[in-house]
Amino acid sequence: MHGRPRKAYKPEEEAASAAKAVKLRSLQSQFMSNHHHKIYTKEAIDLSTKLLEINPEAYTAWNYRKLAVEDTLSRTESNPDLVKSILDEELKVVESALRQNFKSYGAWHHRKWVLSKSHSSVGNELRLLDKFQTLDSRNFHAWNYRRFVVELTNRSKQDELKYTEDMICKDFSNYSAWHNRSVLLSSLLARKADGFTPNEKIPEEYKLVHDAIFTDEDDQSGWFYHLWLLDQTVNVETPLLTSSWPPHGSRINLSGAGCLKKLTTFCSESGSFPLVLYFDKAVVGVSSSTVRIDSELKGNDDLVWEPVSNKNAQVSCVWVARVKYMSSEPCVPKEYTVKVRIGNSPGIVSSRGCNFSAPYELVFTAHVHDTVQEVPQEAIVSWMDGFDIWDAQSEDLNNLVNLDQSNTQMDSKWRQETIAEEIDLFRELSDSKIGKLTLARLLMAKAMISENGVKGVHYEEILELYNDLMALDSSHYHYYKDEHSVALLRKVTSSNESLSGHLFRYRDLNNSVCLRLNNLSLSRIASVEKFLFVQMLDLSHNELHSTEGLEAMQLLSCLNLSHNRIRSFSALDSLRHLKQLRVLDVSHNHIGEHTVDTTRYLCSSPLSNSEWTQDEAGRQVPSLVTKYWDAYFVLRDLNLKQLDVAGNVIAGDEFSSFVRQVVPQLVWLDGQKLGS
Amino acid sequence: MSETAVYGEAIDWESEDESSDDAEEEEEEEEEYTSSANFDKDRHLVYLQMMYELLPYHYQSQEINRLTLAHFIISGLHFLGATDRVDKDVVAKWVLSFQAFPRNRALLKEGEFYGFCGSRSSQFPIDENGDLTHNNSHLASTYCALAILKVIGHDLSTIDSGSLLLSMKNLQQDDGSFMPIHTGGETDLRFVYCAAAISDMLGDWSGMDKEKAKNYILNCQSYDGGFGLIPGSESHGGGTYCAIASLRLMGFIGVDLLSNDSSNSILDPSLLLSWSLQRQASDGGFQGRTNKRSDTCYAFWIGAVLKLIGGDAFINKVALRQFLLSCQSKYGGFSKFPGALPDLYHSYYGYTAFSFLEEPGLSPLCPELGLPLLTATLGI
Repeated sequence: MHGRPRKAYKPEEEAASAAKAVKLRSLQSQFMSNHHHKIYTKEAIDLSTKLLEINPEAYTAWNYRKLAVEDTLSRTESNPDLVKSILDEELKVVESALRQNFKSYGAWHHRKWVLSKSHSSVGNELRLLDKFQTLDSRNFHAWNYRRFVVELTNRSKQDELKYTEDMICKDFSNYSAWHNRSVLLSSLLARKADGFTPNEKIPEEYKLVHDAIFTDEDDQSGWFYHLWLLDQTVNVETPLLTSSWPPHGSRINLSGAGCLKKLTTFCSESGSFPLVLYFDKAVVGVSSSTVRIDSELKGNDDLVWEPVSNKNAQVSCVWVARVKYMSSEPCVPKEYTVKVRIGNSPGIVSSRGCNFSAPYELVFTAHVHDTVQEVPQEAIVSWMDGFDIWDAQSEDLNNLVNLDQSNTQMDSKWRQETIAEEIDLFRELSDSKIGKLTLARLLMAKAMISENGVKGVHYEEILELYNDLMALDSSHYHYYKDEHSVALLRKVTSSNESLSGHLFRYRDLNNSVCLRLNNLSLSRIASVEKFLFVQMLDLSHNELHSTEGLEAMQLLSCLNLSHNRIRSFSALDSLRHLKQLRVLDVSHNHIGEHTVDTTRYLCSSPLSNSEWTQDEAGRQVPSLVTKYWDAYFVLRDLNLKQLDVAGNVIAGDEFSSFVRQVVPQLVWLDGQKLGS
Repeated sequence: MSETAVYGEAIDWESEDESSDDAEEEEEEEEEYTSSANFDKDRHLVYLQMMYELLPYHYQSQEINRLTLAHFIISGLHFLGATDRVDKDVVAKWVLSFQAFPRNRALLKEGEFYGFCGSRSSQFPIDENGDLTHNNSHLASTYCALAILKVIGHDLSTIDSGSLLLSMKNLQQDDGSFMPIHTGGETDLRFVYCAAAISDMLGDWSGMDKEKAKNYILNCQSYDGGFGLIPGSESHGGGTYCAIASLRLMGFIGVDLLSNDSSNSILDPSLLLSWSLQRQASDGGFQGRTNKRSDTCYAFWIGAVLKLIGGDAFINKVALRQFLLSCQSKYGGFSKFPGALPDLYHSYYGYTAFSFLEEPGLSPLCPELGLPLLTATLGI
């Protein structure tokens, strides 16, 4: 099963190897001469056979044989017997080469080439494979070749599945067999083969893997397979709509710039509001043909949908379109119903090729108010005071966030039952690290697939498990910490009661909705799909490294990231998608402590494409743009009025003057009002 | 070694037998293994120097076959701080003699790859018209050739990289993978890595489609977090190294992936970290796959992955060092397992592993290229 230690050489063996070398040298030069002169006689071909018997890795010789076979076939194609004997000979040579070295890439490749000439039978190949796989049940060439043969010959995958089961029962620690089992099952489940519905098959697989795990708890094979099974249990291939802004059934208040009316949900200088769709998987194809808008709001027939993710990527979980409510003609203040029909015509597809197949209609009303032209406010936004506690009695949170729009799946019953059984079982193993981790994952899975409001989701238990793991296993501390953050945010969003405990209204800014998630020692942001309505977000005093995920919060105008672990402006890259963002506090982070490694960027310097020399800052302070390029790329795309960077290494007079060049509209910098 | 070493198939993980073991045919017949307490630099120098001298480049060029072995020797000597023992001009001339050139530039579009071929025996003499009728340039040999040249300080800008890179495009497949040689061969992550390392060393990425290569790599990630050599295959230490090192060289993942900004993260770093750390077995060594035996070379393949993603702090370095020392031969060099005979392949990756462990007196490691860290790099 493992590598064989080599024997030491005896003197007579050394003599033999010297003789071997002489023979090889002469074979080699004859072979090269044949190859060069395109000699494909029987003698010449036999010579290459000898060479390959001695050195199965001689790829030149394999390639010569391919040419020789092509040459002979071109003259004998009409004679099937002859063709057969020629190809049989090749298979024989490969087999003896593999006997010499069954890890020879060249030999296995040659065999695939012969097979691609639609030769040999699946029986032959499986017999050969059995021979090699008995010798070494972990040989990855053999397993790869096995998958190749099965694909090529359409051998029944059920039979192959049986083979993996036999191998696993012989030796639970044969991870290659477990791996192949997951590959086969994925394919059988994906094409819904007879008897391969997840609700029948997956519970059986749990039983198989329990045998392995409970036989030897220290063997990783079973645990990896269990992780894969859990993924199959929880995740559905087809993409679903998770949430939207505005949510279904909501009523939003819209007004123009400078409006101070109470309870305005959104006001915009451009007279449009963002319509946000949040899918549970990254999808392509969200467009005006796959998403239809039906509304009296004029000029929205051909909405432009943009993916909200890394630039150039057309695949995204989050898509946004800007719906006009004050186009050329002044809008009469009134209420408009907006119907959004998603997925009625095909085209929304996940990156794994699954169609969004459950058409969804969301309806909301938009109340458009009079536009009151006022001087734009330039008061400083404070995170300290001016907040009203969320009045859960008078405010209907459902109007802002529609929790769990689509989490309830049609066939979730077996999933819930399976996971519940697993939880019971693994409570017994929760003394070990992997046992605790698996239990935590199972409990999270239970929370994910439970219907909203179902009792018995123990976030406290999950959080405790991850706390234990952080203490027990420092090497995976960051991973546990991240999972702990995810669980904590799930807990916050698990009910309207717990969420409203973190919500406030900020009086001085149209009573904006403020979500406070400060001081929670979060290292990662999650559950953003539940926060789409939030306009002010306080994430201060956490352990965040980046703002990944926040790009979906298209209404966000104020963000507090002070006292976190942001190391560079590049970590704020996702904020560039937030067109409403006016106030940003990144004070007391680690920006500037570490130099940013620029050597590995796609172009030799991120500034080398020279677009920056076109703009004002690029012309005025080129040396500062070069120095602070990471800040430049983020700040120039934001429309900030207020910025706090104090308490970072980067902060200082030089950086301040750079910021004023790049963000000319800025009013407040580190609490100081900037003079014009 | 030079006599029996035949064709060069360069990166050959899990080579348990002949292909890279030719080196120690000169060794004593019986070896007593006493696990030493220290990295025995002097013995390793003797070992490599012997290998170096047995490669009679300049006068017996017909006997020389493997650029790969030369790379292990010369780059190995650099790790040991003994580059002065190498005649740089002779080596450069010898390496450059393996480069293939097209007769004219129009041929570059004909599908052939004009790089370096691995050995004299796979190199055909140019015919009377000056034509190269058989061009056996191989990606792995090209990687090794450039690695040697880089290590000895040869100015890589003097190489005709234009035809090399333009014709390298011919090897990239529609799925993003690379064939090693234009006459045909298996395609997998090893050759994606070779192409990326070649592009990096030459400071020119015009020879490959990085987006396609990235997609191929991501298709090779398994549900356990590691990468197989081809899509759908079992996670493997060598495949995982090729994936991560290529993504780093291409600029798709940054330094310190785990603790740094994880936005734009294209792969699952947490699972990858778990899988990689779990490769350290109870004997302290690293295994290439789940439930396989520890092997010297994976100390580099997995260690470098952990270094590249910023997870190397979690390795039990004391135990790894102990394991590696148990594979150190008393005649110099490293073997695959404790008690086996040393060979050049495992010796070289033993040196890279000790460099990764920051052994005093060894050159620091450039994990993504698998080479000593060289200060004067071209094209970056």
